[in-house]
Amino acid sequence: MVRLAIALFLFPTAIAVAEEGADRSAPMTARIDQLLLERLKSAGVEPAPAADDGEFLRRAYLDLSGTIPPVAITRDYLADSSPAKRRQLIERLLASPAFASHLASTWREIILKPTDDFQQLQNQFALQAWLREQFSENARYDRIVEQFITASSEQDGPVYFYDALDLKPEQLAAETSRIFLGLHIQCAECHDHPFDDWKQRDFWGYAAFFARVAKRDSAMGRISLVDQEMGEVKIPESEETVAPLYPGGSAPSDRFGGTRRQKLAVWMVARDNPYTARRAVNWAWAHLFGRGLVEPVDDLSPLNAPSHPALMEELTQYFIDSGYDLRQLLRTLAMTDAYARSSQNVDGQRPELFANMAIKSLSPEQLYDAILRLGLIRETVGDLSSQAPQPFDRSQQRLQFVARMRTVSLDRTDFETGAPQALALMNGPPVSLATAPETSGFLKSLEAPFFSDEQRVELIALAAYSRQPTAEERQRFSEYLATASPNEKKQALGDLLWAVAASAEFMLNH
Amino acid sequence: MAATDRRRFLQQALLGAASCSWLPALVQAAAEQPVKRRCIVLWMSGGPSQMDTFDLKPGHANGGEYKEIETSVPGLKFSEHLPHLAKQADRLAILRGMSTKEGDHIRGSYLMHTGERPGGPLRYPAIGASLSKALGDPQADLPNFVAVNPNAAFSQASISGGFLGPKYAATTVGQRAMAGPASPAAGATGLVDLGVDYLQLPGEVSPERAEARMKLWRGQQESFLALRDAAAPKSHDTIFRRAVRMMNPAAAAAFDLQQEEDAVRESYGAGRFGQGCLIARRLIERGVPFVEVTHGADGLGWDTHQANFAGVKALSAELDQGWSTLMRELDERGLLDSTTILWMGEFGRTPQINANAGRDHFPDAWSCVLAGGGIAGGQAYGSTSEGGQEVVDGKTEVPDLIATLCAAVGVDPATENISPLSRPIKISEGAPIRALLS
Repeated sequence: MVRLAIALFLFPTAIAVAEEGADRSAPMTARIDQLLLERLKSAGVEPAPAADDGEFLRRAYLDLSGTIPPVAITRDYLADSSPAKRRQLIERLLASPAFASHLASTWREIILKPTDDFQQLQNQFALQAWLREQFSENARYDRIVEQFITASSEQDGPVYFYDALDLKPEQLAAETSRIFLGLHIQCAECHDHPFDDWKQRDFWGYAAFFARVAKRDSAMGRISLVDQEMGEVKIPESEETVAPLYPGGSAPSDRFGGTRRQKLAVWMVARDNPYTARRAVNWAWAHLFGRGLVEPVDDLSPLNAPSHPALMEELTQYFIDSGYDLRQLLRTLAMTDAYARSSQNVDGQRPELFANMAIKSLSPEQLYDAILRLGLIRETVGDLSSQAPQPFDRSQQRLQFVARMRTVSLDRTDFETGAPQALALMNGPPVSLATAPETSGFLKSLEAPFFSDEQRVELIALAAYSRQPTAEERQRFSEYLATASPNEKKQALGDLLWAVAASAEFMLNH
Repeated sequence: MAATDRRRFLQQALLGAASCSWLPALVQAAAEQPVKRRCIVLWMSGGPSQMDTFDLKPGHANGGEYKEIETSVPGLKFSEHLPHLAKQADRLAILRGMSTKEGDHIRGSYLMHTGERPGGPLRYPAIGASLSKALGDPQADLPNFVAVNPNAAFSQASISGGFLGPKYAATTVGQRAMAGPASPAAGATGLVDLGVDYLQLPGEVSPERAEARMKLWRGQQESFLALRDAAAPKSHDTIFRRAVRMMNPAAAAAFDLQQEEDAVRESYGAGRFGQGCLIARRLIERGVPFVEVTHGADGLGWDTHQANFAGVKALSAELDQGWSTLMRELDERGLLDSTTILWMGEFGRTPQINANAGRDHFPDAWSCVLAGGGIAGGQAYGSTSEGGQEVVDGKTEVPDLIATLCAAVGVDPATENISPLSRPIKISEGAPIRALLS
């Protein structure tokens, strides 16, 4: 028990991190704040004050590493008086393995729709593992896109994306345009788009780039893809074949060789492509600010104007000039004053002004991991008879939780769930495990005799909210503990832990 | 949706239903009816054998062991193992011409629950989600969509809100774990006990402590929300408070079978299906608009690749008792006329009997049943060939089946929900089958 309590304070301290990126991003960071403030001023809205250190720490941890900070990190961070501590925190998080894992999970969710099918689940794991590798090496974003368009061998994770879509040209067209271009051309699959520029011919012209991809029979049930010499798409219910056509109308040049997919890839990652980089920038913005400069976040139709047009253009150019460096882009955004604002109410606030920080729902994965971290539960994964331990993110309990909690809306500024999910959150695992004396590592450590109740209350607030308890909480929680007999102390601590674990402040990113 | 909203909504739906001349009148009638409409799906996990339930082929080599029996409707015959349902045949419409295209359990379950084949870009909501959204009151203490004994491994589609979101997913009821105090009744009679998943506090938390926890929780909520007037914290607070209302004794009592006399519980059958039908009756009585009860959820009960005849006999006995008692009790309470029942599974089973005295998956020609409110009972709609291999007439595909169910409960199947890509999606693309509607 004492060991555990001590372990609570002995998490590895910060490692020194390279900071070469910080200098390059500073001017753009300042420019973003300038443009946002100009807009706020013209709207006559005062921005919210800066968030407290704890609020900022928790936010950055959730956004950049996918879960809440451990108590020891929080204590160090709150005690640190260095003016560079926010920058150092961002750098450390961006360099952490958790950053790559979190981004891989986030992008896997964007790329593949949720599934309960066992085989499809394996595709998802394989794609996610590949993405993790890309983000961990900070692969150029344009290179990642290119690999999706031209994937062939099974070392290329994107073959699993093709497999999940059954290699159907119309689905590959609909999904790659949504994911990488931010264009919803699939509505033109069956008819001309009623509210947009897209015609049925535009859709099938784009789909034609995928008309010749086929699966190659290969050993051991592994997937590999090949581009054949033949294969066309036809307008539905007609015999009319459609030749490849880029969105916007131009046809690929015959001067260059290569397969149809290679020709599409060249166009997609060209520096003057009007969609690819914008889509990535809008994603990164929404990832940190809860909504995009363009909303909905994956609909960058020319008819859908950004809230800050100049900012959108400048950031897009900046991203392209940086060599499509996603990590640099996130660093630049995370260092803005706007990202560091409090989430508290502001007079005259409208979401598109970014006057205060949007309050975001956690993804099911984030929520599950945060609850486990709060309870200091180390999950044993897989059945004990099997030799090789399974990766944590495939634990059955975690998969079931994610399946139950998964949402459909892209708007993360609402808490989109129902009473059955709320019941499971209140009474089921992992909250029940994290707050019960038999299973919660955190509760066991809190029982250590050398802690006073005041210290225990402090630890609970630090673990759940990454901040010191308020005066009100100190009083309310201490009173609650004081009324418990020595025998009931354990349960009373569990009650406090439950009350914070089920609260909005814990379950949301604010 | 509140009753008045629904009425306005249905009246608006009339404008969109002009293509089908009699449907507007039907929808109009439903809209003007103050009666609340409800729906129960009886889901036969594994795929029930039509040849041994509602479409027997006595005398044919495919026929198997069972005899046919007369029902209350002259000329309409059922299996000998469904004697109580046979007496209520005037309330049942047998669809003998079902023909579908999925022969895998998971895919078949998805198709039957959504009307769509799996694999497209959209995840469609279960019919329980769309219909409870159309019929239910979002402010009600009880959930609008309850699934009893769902098969989590093979039938996720049956409880999913699909693109409507988790808000519309089913609240699930399962066999109660042994954690709580065992009921004296269970010990005495062997009655299975069912309960809402996660409605109970974790084992070690007493009701007094739960109240103390909620008080602490409310304190946390109030101080956080006071400064943050935003969608996410407000939704979190609303939804959690609603879940707490479900835990309150009055609402939770709806699921508490111990409040029924043992004799009543026994009349439904002691097993999970019978007790599930009793829960369905209790929920329908309390205004819950959609309940699905699964039969054969331990594994895939109706998946009788082997020893079909012993298996189906036992399953039929439970089915006959639970379903017939449910209809009788709904009728006694005046609720059968406003409650439509749909009996179905993933697919039917092969007419030929295999080497293991079993029948395999067979989507080409099989049976579903509609019963109760809004349904023209006492008929077989469609028929199959002599050996049961193919549909001869009344061929019915899933979208039309779902559209018929919608029409029977007074919901226009063309009612549109908006997908995440802002595309309007109809509850069903099919057309109701006039002959099946009363």
